[in-house]
Amino acid sequence: MGRMKFLCDAERCIECNGCVTACKNEHEVPWGVNRRRVVTMNDGVPGERSISVACMHCSDAPCMAVCPTDCFYKTEDGVVLHDKDQCIGCGYCFFACPFGAPQFPNGPSAFGARGKMDKCTFCAGGPEETGSEAEYEKYGSNRLAEGKLPLCAEMCSTKALLAGDASVVADIFRERVLRRGGGAEAWGWQTAYGGGEQRRERKQDREGQK
Amino acid sequence: MSMPVSKRIVTAAFAAALVGGLGACGEKSQVAVYEQGTYQGKADTAAWDGPAFKGDRAAWEAALKNRARGQNEYNRTE
Amino acid sequence: MLTKKSTVGTGVGRRLRSSAARLVGQTMDRRGFLKRSGLGVGAGAIASQLPYNFIGAAEAADAPVAAGAGDTVVRRTVCTHCSVGCAVDAVVKNGVWVRQEPVFDSPINLGAHCAKGASVREHGHGEHRLKYPMKLVDGKYQKISWEEAIEEVGDRLLKIREESGPDAVYWIGSSKHNNEQAYLLRKFVSFWGTNNTDHQARICHSTTVAGVANTWGYGAMTNSYNDMQNAKAMLFIGSNAAEAHPVSLLHILHAKENGAKMIVVDPRFTRTAAKAHQYIRIRSGTDVPFLFGLLYHIFQNGWEDRKYVEDRVFGMEAIREEVLAKWTPDMVEEACGVPEDQMLLAARTMAENRPSTIVWCMGQTQHTIGNAMVRASCILQLALGNIGKAGGGANIFRGHDNVQGATDVGPNPDSLPGYYGLATGSWKHWSNVWGVDYEWVKGRYASQELMEKSGITVSRWIDGVLEDKELIDQPGGKLRAVVYWGHAPNSQTRGAEMVEAMKALDTLVVIDPYPSATASMAAMVRKDGVYLLPAATQFETVGSATASNRSLQWREKVIEPLFESKPDHTIMYAFAKKFGWGEELVKNIKLEKDGHGWDEPNIEDILREINRGTWTIGYSGQSPERLKLHMKNMHTFDVKTLKAQGGPCDGEYFGLPWPCFGTPEMKHPGTPNLYDTSKHVMDGGGNFRANFGVERDGVSLLAGDGSASMGADLQMGYPEFDHLLLKKLGWWGELTDAEKAAAEGKNWKTDPSGGIIRVAMVNHGCHPFGNAKARAVVWNFPDAIPQHREPIYSPRPDMVAKYPTHDDKMKFWRLPTLYKSLQEKVKDISKEYPLVMTSGRLVEYEGGGEETRSNPWLAELQQEMFAEVNPKDANDAGFRNGDYIWVESPTKARLKVRAQVTQRVAPGTVFLPFHFSGWWQGEDMLKFYPEGAAPIVRGEAVNTATTYGYDAVTMMQETKTTLCRVSKA
Repeated sequence: MGRMKFLCDAERCIECNGCVTACKNEHEVPWGVNRRRVVTMNDGVPGERSISVACMHCSDAPCMAVCPTDCFYKTEDGVVLHDKDQCIGCGYCFFACPFGAPQFPNGPSAFGARGKMDKCTFCAGGPEETGSEAEYEKYGSNRLAEGKLPLCAEMCSTKALLAGDASVVADIFRERVLRRGGGAEAWGWQTAYGGGEQRRERKQDREGQK
Repeated sequence: MSMPVSKRIVTAAFAAALVGGLGACGEKSQVAVYEQGTYQGKADTAAWDGPAFKGDRAAWEAALKNRARGQNEYNRTE
Repeated sequence: MLTKKSTVGTGVGRRLRSSAARLVGQTMDRRGFLKRSGLGVGAGAIASQLPYNFIGAAEAADAPVAAGAGDTVVRRTVCTHCSVGCAVDAVVKNGVWVRQEPVFDSPINLGAHCAKGASVREHGHGEHRLKYPMKLVDGKYQKISWEEAIEEVGDRLLKIREESGPDAVYWIGSSKHNNEQAYLLRKFVSFWGTNNTDHQARICHSTTVAGVANTWGYGAMTNSYNDMQNAKAMLFIGSNAAEAHPVSLLHILHAKENGAKMIVVDPRFTRTAAKAHQYIRIRSGTDVPFLFGLLYHIFQNGWEDRKYVEDRVFGMEAIREEVLAKWTPDMVEEACGVPEDQMLLAARTMAENRPSTIVWCMGQTQHTIGNAMVRASCILQLALGNIGKAGGGANIFRGHDNVQGATDVGPNPDSLPGYYGLATGSWKHWSNVWGVDYEWVKGRYASQELMEKSGITVSRWIDGVLEDKELIDQPGGKLRAVVYWGHAPNSQTRGAEMVEAMKALDTLVVIDPYPSATASMAAMVRKDGVYLLPAATQFETVGSATASNRSLQWREKVIEPLFESKPDHTIMYAFAKKFGWGEELVKNIKLEKDGHGWDEPNIEDILREINRGTWTIGYSGQSPERLKLHMKNMHTFDVKTLKAQGGPCDGEYFGLPWPCFGTPEMKHPGTPNLYDTSKHVMDGGGNFRANFGVERDGVSLLAGDGSASMGADLQMGYPEFDHLLLKKLGWWGELTDAEKAAAEGKNWKTDPSGGIIRVAMVNHGCHPFGNAKARAVVWNFPDAIPQHREPIYSPRPDMVAKYPTHDDKMKFWRLPTLYKSLQEKVKDISKEYPLVMTSGRLVEYEGGGEETRSNPWLAELQQEMFAEVNPKDANDAGFRNGDYIWVESPTKARLKVRAQVTQRVAPGTVFLPFHFSGWWQGEDMLKFYPEGAAPIVRGEAVNTATTYGYDAVTMMQETKTTLCRVSKA
């Protein structure tokens, strides 16, 4: 076992937002900060597809590379986390992220006034004592340390959103693809986990994140 | 808050690359050059080192694997 | 592209949230709790991993949840937001609901939730709830005590009863009450002395219940969400399951993944349509032409199941003649706009991929001819031989979490619990169950005639106030008081007239955790005479709820009632005491003191009373003990069949889906799929019901030979069982002496011993309700063969001439009801109001929406009321996406909403979600709300502008096809 990943199956996602409220519920994320959101393409016309998007915990995470204070770290199981005490709210990570994951409590304010960056932790807390009040206040609950997976995936209405060890997630997805004989695109996987290539130019994915 | 000089240069270069990329819209995309910094924050413990599993990584992995089964309804429908 | 329908700046929300935080009062949010207790999540998390049994044992001590520091328990409950019935594990620490965990073991939802289900823990915060009883004084809501509330409301209602009779008070019950509360309320209004009571089912699936029950016996979903995994084709017509029943898609997409074909028929390209193989856009309100158009191809190609029809269906030949003569492809295309090739493709898909199932919801039921549309759906499935088959069936998705249960045993104006009706014998049966004297109950009513006469429906209560006194078909005349007991006002049509009715009332009482929509509408037009009483939620009490698939699930109490709220049954008993018949109400029911010294009727005793009386639909076998056992052993049930394999529930179906016949001791396993002859009746098998006589026009109505349920001693059609049939068959001797004494002169529905049922089922494998044919022709309905009739407000005058509506009715559910006269009058109104106005659901909200719009996790996702308008109509009217627009209906009521310009709707159609309230024709109603009890998100209620129109059998309101025009605001 080693590598934690998310996978969203566009053939199954119905844009119900269960993942979004599960996240709010589990971590008491304040109004205006969305660690996870559902994106819909071709809204209202044939070809409509939805995808649940959050921090993908990239293999070669661009946020980690651009952070001027080096507040990011990657856990042994592949989860990208950050130290809020170290974060200066500069927003570089937001511009670097192909998924628009980093969130700022004060919105798109001027440099330094955005507040400390907040993002999906893969329900793995952060650099405070596991299960402590400080960890919960800053990063939310630490389900991974309880032997549980991110609540968004665990509660997904159609089990479109999968989380967990890469091999297990891939196995579940592969079985579905075989059954239906198509719909094999695991959205964002190439960007997040593929060959270390980063595709920072995909700014269109960030539209509406203000 | 102190920032290593080299890092500052790298981020500035990245920002410039980004602006350049925007300005040259339609041209071949430019890939920023950056280098990985070293984590400067507090140390964190591994998931299996918390109070629930007390360092028993095998037990933690088993728990997670079991949990992952809940995401696959084929386990219950075959 | 990444934005939701409304991505408004976060400023407003944050302001609201912080102002709400000041009003928290007694409650505590999780953050506050964690801070004060000095505990992190670790402790709770570890406790949540305890095996369920262990936790069950811990709570058996029955200590109040608030007691004992460090006391962490997991309470198993069920989401209260729709009829799927998703199980929830609530982690409760020191009486505070601190976490919500998925229940992977549940065979229904396997841990899955939609936005609403994943946010139910917010009920433990409840910041926007009504905190204490209030009354309207000089136009403002003021706090009063519970004692004052019961006294004052009680005195006012008693005075009205004295002056105008018991029928002058209208009691609107709730599909959000659990079974026990819904049942107790029907008993309560009976003892008050009226049938003027109703609940959400009237405006949700009343046409289904009537249409389907009259076709084959029971008015419910025949199969289950789970069983759809067995389907090879699925036709959705008037159902947007992806938004209205999201977790059902878990089973539906699983079926699709394994090869099932999916067809969606809807005027709107819904999110369900986005997942379909074939999407068919029909003109709103033309379901009969569409369904009969499919049958045309089925008959033409000989795809009907002849043997099945021969043995098990009455009247199909008449349907065949009608369809082939009237619903030729050109006529179908003219009526619903679907070309022949699309019709043929859909018909072929359904015929060649059997078992195929049909799903319908409010898109089909909420029409002036809803009763005919649902029967057309039934007939399609009968022709294909799909009813009574796994993977087939009529999968009618119900709305509220317990709307099925409230329909079955709750406050209905035309029936006592269990569809017993209102006949003298029914009253005697229930008086006997209740342990009260029939004559005493009769004395509570104004007369025996009124006791046996159906009451006014919730869809029409406003006419019970506004109609001319002489035209109201009850001696007391007008309604003078209305009690809204867990029901939104903005879910009923003609809102503009509703405020006039509210104004005219003597007294308006609202009992609800979130009474604010009614409260604000009333305060807008009144100065006094309005009372608000805070009810507890279903997470603050115990009881059973019936999911759409007829499974009953038991909810444990998660937390104590927040603020000053009280469970509905406690409030019922308090009023009963005030009215002078508290003792009669709880004759068989223990009373327990709650934390405030109030008497709370024991829920388990109420369920046992339901068990003892409800033989008709098999609510008799689901004892509290059996239901609890199922909740603890969810993992033993198979997901596809819902059957337990081994374990303590071995052989039973999850939640003992009704009918679960006989006594609990008879151990009937429940019925997963209705009318399924491939199984023995003691294994959940069955056949169509003999409820309409044994012969019609010289044709036998009993089923053909060899079409009985598996292993039945009578392998032919047979009538329902009573003492005479038992004697004739020579089976009477198999009753015990005690059973004989009880069953003498009775039938299977009224035999209080359950002996007739036991002998028929256990000893002889026969169905107690007989074995008959389903009816394709329902001769007791206005249109024995379903007919297309244009809605009253039709966009097509040419079609009105061809397919006119019914004649007016003078006395219909106690009220005059307009059809043809009004349709004639407004025949050309589509010149002024050219667009079809229709409404539907959003995944984030539920029902009237006050509860869900008060939940910040949901409210953030849909911050504004909107209308979907096709780009063509938007361009014609001169507005753009995101503009404020006016939507005006022929009533002249105007709605100010955001324009969502989208291809989702065709040119000529405007879609509005129906979950909003709190704006009135452009004005925010905030100042009319009780302080601190306004929902976070407010907006125009679509029903402020909806028009007149009611189903000709059930008084279902027309919401899906009316007219409007749009302009830039």
